[in-house]
Amino acid sequence: MSADEACTSRALLARATAGDAAAFGTLVRMHQRPVYSLALRMLSDRHRAEDLAQEVFLQLYRSLAHLESEDHLSFWLRRVTMHRAIDRLRRERRYAAMPLADAEMASDSADADPMLERRLRGLLEELAPAARAVIVLRYQEDLDPVEIGRTLKMSVNTVKSHLKRSLALLRAALAVPGSGAGGGSPTPPRPLPSGHRSLV
Amino acid sequence: MSQDMNRDDNHDVEQRLRAALRPVDPGAGFVAGVMARIAAERPRSARLPRTRAAAGWLTFALAASIVLALLVAHQQQARRTQQGLEARRQLIQALRVAGDKLELASRMVNAQQPPPNSSNSGA
Repeated sequence: MSADEACTSRALLARATAGDAAAFGTLVRMHQRPVYSLALRMLSDRHRAEDLAQEVFLQLYRSLAHLESEDHLSFWLRRVTMHRAIDRLRRERRYAAMPLADAEMASDSADADPMLERRLRGLLEELAPAARAVIVLRYQEDLDPVEIGRTLKMSVNTVKSHLKRSLALLRAALAVPGSGAGGGSPTPPRPLPSGHRSLV
Repeated sequence: MSQDMNRDDNHDVEQRLRAALRPVDPGAGFVAGVMARIAAERPRSARLPRTRAAAGWLTFALAASIVLALLVAHQQQARRTQQGLEARRQLIQALRVAGDKLELASRMVNAQQPPPNSSNSGA
């Protein structure tokens, strides 16, 4: 974020805290993409992800007075989204993969492999909520293990352990005949080895 | 050798994960949905102080009723005690008057009675 953007965000945050609805709307527009994406990768369902993301912004609206800076706001949004998503997954016990409407997932880069990406996301859905959260924060938000630990209230060693084990399992699950990048094989993804769902 | 292969595989999986987890935008009406939920919540929060005020008044009225009932009960008890004391005073007064009358009657009876047979004893 540039200095100008940070300044604008700070001003928006101050105006929103003072009760300016338009400023709050702009803040939502600025942060909707990461919040919704985190919710979507965790819940694997667009409608539930939108509902959860809206709840997060509703909670933000009630908590504006407690936020000190733009950085604090981003951290807060990530933390609340992930904790709400993990809570919801644990409550619903829905670790099993659900089909994604992939229209919105369509790749915008020329060299991407939509089949492989779909397959990876399917495998992610089989991870336990905490392990999935670690992977999503690492590879979607590009956070380092320390930041992930702060966001999820986990020790750095636990984060690293989740990353290592999940990567090994994903790599093993992808290593099936015809699953190479660019292969686009229609074979269903091999499920993760049993016992992996208790990664938490 | 195998460690290098593992590292390459990990790097490959990481690259694929980054590609698969690219952020996406929510639907077009997302911000409007958030604002609508906030707007729907506002009247509820506005109603909240009124509800709290009503609850406060209700508590006050309840407390006032209890105090009033206690006062009335206390007054009734005091009046009954007063009536009892008055009745006792009147009873004592009546007994005293009756006692006086009996005393008087007794004296009159004693006065009318002839003295014992003092002449017969001398004859």
